Amino acid sequence: MTSFYAWVTGLAHSGVLPADFQYPFLVRGFLCVLLLTPMLGGLSHLVVARRMAFFSAALGQAALTGVSLGLLIGEPLNSPYAGMFGFCLLATLGMVYVKRRSSLPPDTLIGVFLALSLGLGLVLLVAVTRQFNVHQVEAILFGSLLTVTDSDLLLLLAVGVVVMVLLAREYNHLLLDSLSPPLAGVEGSDSRFLDYFFAFLLALSIVVSLKIIGALLVEALVVVPAAASRNIARSTRGYLLWSVAVAFVAGAGGLIVSNRFLVPTGAAVVLAASLAFFVTLVAGALRRDALGRFLRGRQAAGIAIALTGLVLLAARVWIGALLVAAGAYFFKFGWPGAQDK
Amino acid sequence: MRILEVSNLTVRIDDQTLLSDVSFSVTRGTLHAIVGPNGAGKSTLVNAILGQIRFDGRILAHWRRNGRIGYVPQSFAVDRTLPVTVADFLALTRQRRPVCFGVGRDAARRIGAMLERVGLAGFEQRQLSVLSGGELRRVLLAHALDPLPELLILDEPATGLDRTASQWLEDVLLAARDRDDVTVLMVSHDHERVKRHGDRVTVLDKSVVADGAPADALA
Repeated sequence: MTSFYAWVTGLAHSGVLPADFQYPFLVRGFLCVLLLTPMLGGLSHLVVARRMAFFSAALGQAALTGVSLGLLIGEPLNSPYAGMFGFCLLATLGMVYVKRRSSLPPDTLIGVFLALSLGLGLVLLVAVTRQFNVHQVEAILFGSLLTVTDSDLLLLLAVGVVVMVLLAREYNHLLLDSLSPPLAGVEGSDSRFLDYFFAFLLALSIVVSLKIIGALLVEALVVVPAAASRNIARSTRGYLLWSVAVAFVAGAGGLIVSNRFLVPTGAAVVLAASLAFFVTLVAGALRRDALGRFLRGRQAAGIAIALTGLVLLAARVWIGALLVAAGAYFFKFGWPGAQDK
Repeated sequence: MRILEVSNLTVRIDDQTLLSDVSFSVTRGTLHAIVGPNGAGKSTLVNAILGQIRFDGRILAHWRRNGRIGYVPQSFAVDRTLPVTVADFLALTRQRRPVCFGVGRDAARRIGAMLERVGLAGFEQRQLSVLSGGELRRVLLAHALDPLPELLILDEPATGLDRTASQWLEDVLLAARDRDDVTVLMVSHDHERVKRHGDRVTVLDKSVVADGAPADALA
């Protein structure tokens, strides 16, 4: 990886990439964003469809408890994955099991688990901070680029590939089960399996995202991209593409803001995602009127994107060439999912 | 001759008996209606046949062809947060590729034919959430009829339909029975329609009250 970082640093020095990329930790963070956003963006629209937003929040809290447990059993502070994976898996199994067996509404049951894991997490955290510096545990709570290592990156890559392959395999069943469980049952889907399966994938994804986004904020990146995407998407494909795009823009934007203004990465990413939500809210309203119809036109969109790219190129930001290419694509093919309108 | 045999079926949920000792059979190639007052256990019976709830007793199916059950549920609450189009929905069980990557050409062709069959040609890109109740029911029927099932189960399919749509539904069901040899098991409140076109009817009120030809059972 050292030679890769040296190559990217060289590109940053020569102006092909923004100057921020001369720092290896930022390159590592950007790679994390590249891996995280398709995974969380891809999951997020199913999280919304399966009404598991609150479940994601509970998993984030459970991860905090898992970190404390990991530290207590002697795991290194920088990678307490056994504690996190173990406790999150237990919490996932517990929540899904009780949800399927109880007549209480799911949000009430998840609230019970959330309170339980938060209480347990705080008790254990106090026990842990007698041995460790609490500021280091804060990195888990709010996310920090400085703590991300190459091993974390490899783990993220492995988990990302596994999650996306498994998700693609069961996607149609998961969506049909979200729309109508009885109909999915008649078509051969096993609702119980799908419940556990999706919760397991979500738990895996959340655990590997914690170092960047943080336990308290990871839920936002699992929910907000889908919410933003819903404002403008007109088909399932558009929903996925916009969710991933919003997650990427929020991740990359948050990373840059975090580096420039020295604020926690997770918080910056979540703020960027929330901003994207309001932008798409306005865009969704615009596309319903005459101006929106013009902006929606593929030629107008393509020209606007290509012009932005040309402005960047004029400022010697060579990455603008990508925008010119994207503009040409939109000019020719239109917005992702637009043909589904 | 029999496609479905239900014997001594009992369903209890939370100490409440929803169905008690229900026995009847459905003959292949017929339109069999289940009628009864509200709370009689008609939808519970359908859920038991579909294997979606626990029950005591025995439900036996005798398949000859593909063993497929087509099902049109009583209600289909469309989640307005999901921008799922009609084509997306119908493609979910008609292509292996995840629908979020788009609808494949073969599936799109097949979906076009399915929608034409139910009078909704050109509805592929409409979102489910903007369809009227009647249009949604047609989409569900299109889904249930492709590929042709051996047993088509409909839970109060005419609810919310106007007279024209009800007549259209009747024609489609009769065509499925008479032309395509599909056995139709239908929960219905419309006694007159059942008397006109049903081959057999089971009157339910937690247990079987009457079972036989419509003219006799509904007398």
